[in-house]
Amino acid sequence: MDDSEKSGLSRRQFARRAALLSATASLAPAACIFPDGPAAPPSQDTPGAPKLSPESQTEADARFQQILAQSGDRLTAEDKTLLQKMNQMAQSGLDRVRAYPLQNGDAPALYLKPLVEREKKKPETPASPAKKS
Amino acid sequence: MLSESVLYLSVSELAKKIQSKQISPVELTESYLARSEALGPKLNAYARLTPELALDQARAAEKDIQRGHYRGPLHGIPYAAKDLLAVKGIPTTWGAKPFADQVFDYNATVIDHLHNVGAVLLGKAAMIELAGGMGYMYASASLQGETKNPWDATCWTCGSSSGSGAIVAAALAGFAIGTETWGSIVCPSAFCGVSGLRPTYGRVSRYGAMALSYSMDKIGPMARSAEDCTNIFAAIAGHDALDRGTLPVDRAAFTYSPAAELKGRTLRVGWLTNAWKQLDAPIAKIIDTAKSNLKHHFPSVRDAALPEGPWEDAANLILSAEGASAFSPLIRSGRVKELNDPMGRVAGYLNQTIPGSDYTSALRIREILQKKVTDLFDSYDVLVTASQPVTATPLSLNLFTGLSFPDPLGAIGNLCGLPALSVPCGFTDKNLPVGLQFVARAGDDAAVLQAGRTFQQSTTHHRRHPRL
Repeated sequence: MDDSEKSGLSRRQFARRAALLSATASLAPAACIFPDGPAAPPSQDTPGAPKLSPESQTEADARFQQILAQSGDRLTAEDKTLLQKMNQMAQSGLDRVRAYPLQNGDAPALYLKPLVEREKKKPETPASPAKKS
Repeated sequence: MLSESVLYLSVSELAKKIQSKQISPVELTESYLARSEALGPKLNAYARLTPELALDQARAAEKDIQRGHYRGPLHGIPYAAKDLLAVKGIPTTWGAKPFADQVFDYNATVIDHLHNVGAVLLGKAAMIELAGGMGYMYASASLQGETKNPWDATCWTCGSSSGSGAIVAAALAGFAIGTETWGSIVCPSAFCGVSGLRPTYGRVSRYGAMALSYSMDKIGPMARSAEDCTNIFAAIAGHDALDRGTLPVDRAAFTYSPAAELKGRTLRVGWLTNAWKQLDAPIAKIIDTAKSNLKHHFPSVRDAALPEGPWEDAANLILSAEGASAFSPLIRSGRVKELNDPMGRVAGYLNQTIPGSDYTSALRIREILQKKVTDLFDSYDVLVTASQPVTATPLSLNLFTGLSFPDPLGAIGNLCGLPALSVPCGFTDKNLPVGLQFVARAGDDAAVLQAGRTFQQSTTHHRRHPRL
C-alpha cells in the first residue's frame, strides 16, 4: 500500500496534491496538504537530528512530504527514517546559508574562476548605489 | 620479476632506471601486474586490471626507449586510473552498479595526456560509488566493496579515491590518478600514507571524467613522493577546449624545473590554528614534530587562522545541488536503489529539492569567500595543518555518525579551487600513517609542491612501506 492509499486519497487527488506540493515546496506547511500528517515519525523526534525553529521545521516537513509524494513508493521504512534525519540536517545548513549577510550587489560565482592573481584593490567609493535607493 | 624494493621506488627513481636501461618497461609492467593480481583482490584495490593494454603500451615504450626516443619521467611507468575516467573500449563503472556495463568509445583527456608521455595504464582503480555524489555512510559503498588499507586491512583507505590510495601504498603501480570534489584525494592520501595533489580547479581537464559537481571536481596525482606528484601534474595539466572549466593556456600549463623551484623562492608559511576542532592525541604529537621540522626549513612560520563563515554549508549545498543535476536521470528513474549504500539510495531525492535561490546564495557566498581567501594569501604563500584529525578508521564504521567533524579548510579549499598537497608526516603507535596538508592560493600549485618536496628532503615517512 502506498502513501496515497494510506491517507485515503484517490490517485488523481494524490497526483494533483503532489504537483501542488512540488510547486509550493518551501511555502506550504505539510499539514495543509496532507491533513492526515506525515507517514514517517515526526521529524523533530528523529534521534540525533538538529533542533529547528518552528518555521524551519515546517519547511523541512513540507520538503519531506514532497519527497514522499513523489518517490515514497520507492522508499522503505528505514530509508524514510534516514531521509528524515538527513532532511533535518539539510534544513539547518540551509538556515545558516540564508543567515549569512549578503548585499544586493554580491554576485554569484556562477562558474568557478579561481582567483589566480590578486586583482588590484579598487579605490573606496563613498556609498554604493544600492544603499542610496 | 622485479623485487618489492624496486616496485616501491618513486616514479623519479624508476624513471632513472628506465632511462639508463637498468630495468625495462615490460619487466616493470609484468611485475606490477603480477603483484596487482596477487594483492589487488585482497585489498579490493582495482575495479579491473587492463593487462593486454598495459603490455601493449609497455612494449611500445620499450621500443621507443631502445630507439633513443625517451619521452621523460613517466615513460614506461605503469599507473592506475580511478574508474571514473573514460578509457576507450574498457568498462568505466563509476564504482556503481547502475553503470557496471558502461563503456565509452573515447579516452578522458588525462588518459590521453599520460599516453602521450608514455605512461602505461595498468588498470582502473576502485572507488566509492559515484565518487560519493549521492552520499555514503559505509566504506562498502562501492561496486568492488570496501577497499582495505594496506597498513591495516581492518581499516579503510578513505574515499572516494579509495583504490588509488591503496594501489600506491601497496606498490601495485608506480602512481595513480584520483579525483577530488571535497576530500577525495587529501583524505585517502593521509589514510594510506601517500603523497597526493589536489590541483587548482581548472588546471587539469575533466573531459571524459564522471561529473559530480561541475564547479568543484578536480583530477590529481597520488604517488609515493611530492616530486612524483610534480612530474605527473606537469604531464596532465593544461587547457582543454573540451572542458570549459579549464583555465586559459598560460594559466593551466605547469612546467617543472626542479632546481629552480626549490631554491628560488622563500615561502611564507602559515600554521593553521583553527582548521580542526580537535586532533586525536597521537596525531597532535606527530603534527607538532612536523611543525618543528617545517620551522627548520621555513623560519618564518607564523600562526594563521581561516576566516569564519558558513563555508561548509555553502560547499555542501553547491555539491548536493550540482550532484542532483548530474545524476538526475538516475534519481528520477529510481535506479539509485541499486547503489550499495543506504544513504546513496535516498540522498538524491533530498538533493533534488534544494531551492534555486539557496543554491545561488551559496554561489554568492563563494564569491565573498574567494576575496577573503585572497586577502589571507597576501600574508602567506602556504597554509599548513594536519590532513585529517583522525587516522584510518575501521572498515565497519558508520561514517555518518562516526566520521563526522567540521572541515572548514576542506570546504574553503574546494569552494575556491585551491591547490592542496597531502604528504605523510609520521606514524602512530598502531603503525597508521598521519598526513600533513599544504594549501596555497589558486594557481600556486608550485608552492604546495615546493613545500612538500622540501619537507620530504629531510624526512623519510614517504619511504616507509606496509608489510603485506
